[in-house]
Amino acid sequence: MEWKQFFTPIKNMDTEEARAYMAEHEEGTYTLLDVRQLGEYENSRIPGATLIPLPQLSDRLGELDPEKPVITY
Amino acid sequence: MGMVTLMGDESPLEVIVFAYGMEQGLGEFYSSAAGMIEDKDVAGLLRKLARIEESHKQKLLDLYMTLNTTGKGSEAFEAEIMNEMMEGGFTTKEFLEKNRPVMETTADILSLAMMLETQGLDLYLRYSQKAEDEESRRVLYRIAEDEKAHLAALGDMMEAIHNEK
Repeated sequence: MEWKQFFTPIKNMDTEEARAYMAEHEEGTYTLLDVRQLGEYENSRIPGATLIPLPQLSDRLGELDPEKPVITY
Repeated sequence: MGMVTLMGDESPLEVIVFAYGMEQGLGEFYSSAAGMIEDKDVAGLLRKLARIEESHKQKLLDLYMTLNTTGKGSEAFEAEIMNEMMEGGFTTKEFLEKNRPVMETTADILSLAMMLETQGLDLYLRYSQKAEDEESRRVLYRIAEDEKAHLAALGDMMEAIHNEK
């Protein structure tokens, strides 16, 4: 078997880029989406992040505002 | 991972071949990862997932044979078509080597597995929506449902590990 790319192209940000993006943009103009599990979210998270654990994401996409950029972690 | 990206204009047969390769890779990944983990419950889950990915390969091969009009038999599928389609990718061994830095803990491995399952789910959902014949749609949705269940099982295992800490 040979692995090859089967990802949908996405833009990746490192921590500093994400921090800079949030500093430069007003609250409410973007969505911070936390796709980790509940326990991880409760333990620590970026303030204001919305939790949708990855296994639930395909069923709950309607909860996201399609007009806003989404930063996912 | 490799250099080739599905762009959305692939033929149904190309998608099936690609999905077959992905299932094979997932199965190999789960089998290898299970051997790296001491936690018996997690290793057991990974081995179970590896077996299910094997059954997906058979479903995809059956669908391929239903749709294919090239005259090539199933024995030619892996030997010829897979080699052609997967040229330029990584072997599973190379994939594991590349990801070793993010596979140090059981949680790391579960996290990587969830990432791969999500990509699989995305692939099946996107192409089942585009499938033009009912049988393709049915098979691809069915496999998507399985991948979604895998993702949930991996998430539950991740949560259990987190709660043990």
